[in-house]
Amino acid sequence: MSIIDVRGLRKVYGTRAVVDGVSLAVEEGEVFGILGPNGAGKTTSVECVGGLRRRDGGTITVAGMDPATESTAFREAVGIQLQESRLPDKQTVSEALELYSTFYCHPRDWRELLERLDLADQRRTYFGRLSGGQKQRLSVALALVGNPRVAILDELTTGLDPAARREVWSLLEDLKGTGVTLLLVSHFMEEAERLCDRVVVIDHGRVIAADTPEGLAAGVAADERVSFVPSAPVDPAVLEALPDVHTVSVSADRMVVTGTGDVAAAVIIALHDRGVSVTRIRVDQPSLDDAFVALTRI
Amino acid sequence: MSAASALLKSEARLLARNPGVVIWTAVLPVTASIVLAAIPAIRRPDDSLGGLSFFQVYQPILVLFAITLLAVQALPDVLTRYREMGVLKRLRTTPVSPALLLFAQLALTMIVSVACMLLMVIVPALAGAAWPANTAGFLLAYLLAAWALLGVGMVIASLFRNAKVAAGFGSVLFFVLMFFAGLWLQRPLMPTWLRHISDFTPGGAAAQALTDSAVGHWPGLLHLGVLAAWGVVMSIVAIRQFSWE
Repeated sequence: MSIIDVRGLRKVYGTRAVVDGVSLAVEEGEVFGILGPNGAGKTTSVECVGGLRRRDGGTITVAGMDPATESTAFREAVGIQLQESRLPDKQTVSEALELYSTFYCHPRDWRELLERLDLADQRRTYFGRLSGGQKQRLSVALALVGNPRVAILDELTTGLDPAARREVWSLLEDLKGTGVTLLLVSHFMEEAERLCDRVVVIDHGRVIAADTPEGLAAGVAADERVSFVPSAPVDPAVLEALPDVHTVSVSADRMVVTGTGDVAAAVIIALHDRGVSVTRIRVDQPSLDDAFVALTRI
Repeated sequence: MSAASALLKSEARLLARNPGVVIWTAVLPVTASIVLAAIPAIRRPDDSLGGLSFFQVYQPILVLFAITLLAVQALPDVLTRYREMGVLKRLRTTPVSPALLLFAQLALTMIVSVACMLLMVIVPALAGAAWPANTAGFLLAYLLAAWALLGVGMVIASLFRNAKVAAGFGSVLFFVLMFFAGLWLQRPLMPTWLRHISDFTPGGAAAQALTDSAVGHWPGLLHLGVLAAWGVVMSIVAIRQFSWE
């Protein structure tokens, strides 16, 4: 049985259904991503799963329990990292972890978590003095300190600079395979590609796609994009005549060709036949980003 | 260590690191009561104050000054900020109820205000002022006053979601409560109609109940009843209106 099982989840604010029939199932130990544009209903969905919001319809089972009961056993089993949740400015890292570890029956050793999340040097630092990445890592630590079976991480890396974001990602990669099931809410496709085993895309309160990140990217008939600098001027018409090529554009000395199939090879061969070599080539394959844009385009 | 004691310890530590509010709350009334007690003329009964000394009239007001400031300013400020910051919501994700944090804050506020009260009673007594003649009555009046005023503070924390708005409202309310307690115009000097209104406010009822017991009587049932009623109503409103986020 799935550790998280959501069927037909509905949440209505006034007359507007923010979540309108979301279903998903997450297996134990999986890293599962919930993607979607801002306002799609992602946070509301996971807050229902995390027992922080009452659902208006559907069923939810997490580790065999209904989150709506908000039972102590449920809180023991599920750790939640909330979007935009802070700690008092003058609480130190180790004080916060030690305090939160007293809330659980079988907490993890918070000192080990400090090491693991690379916060050992900040143990005596006030929360108010931590960097954005350090605050997020502490937030992850607090979600994990109770030794949960499921950890819900909401918009973990939003607002972080790229370096801090990668720092948090590598931490989560380390967590993979420790048996904790991670439910990750994100609107960063790169994040999902890197971390998630499976993802769903939610838009307007509904699941519009469910697959592995690679599966989603491949499922969208997006063009491959080849950009290069030819060793001699080339007439765009020559390339446009190739069967797989859709568009050709020229900016300064660089040419950009889009198309399907093995368009890069076709272009290189065609130019080689005319005695032109290709330099500084760059090939962009359709990514989850493209899939996301294609899926959520209205 | 249990979650409750860990939380209380943690909140106490945070309070010690942000001592501004407590110092500001405690220093003025405590200093004032000690200074007043040190001046013999102020300890002498005065006919215009119904035979009480200026110190006897002012001591309860200063005791109330400290607890009112803590209750309607410091307490809602901390709680609304915790809610704004998401501290209460984060606690809700744990097996521990966020209510535990409220109790920790209430307990700390109570400890600080009792400490202020003891300073304002004991130090002047050592300086030669009178000890509250009916100690049990004084304590009873104090506890009921604390319940009523902390209840008012909890209602502010429940009704206002924004810490700045809560602080603004708390300051205004502080002056209203202290006006009726007799900070500017002492209750014996109030016109009868104003004193009747004052009887039904937490500040006025508390001031009279404390004054009565300080001079050796038992606090009047009216004043104790008014304080208890405020305590009950405010607690119910606060609990009904409170939200974690």
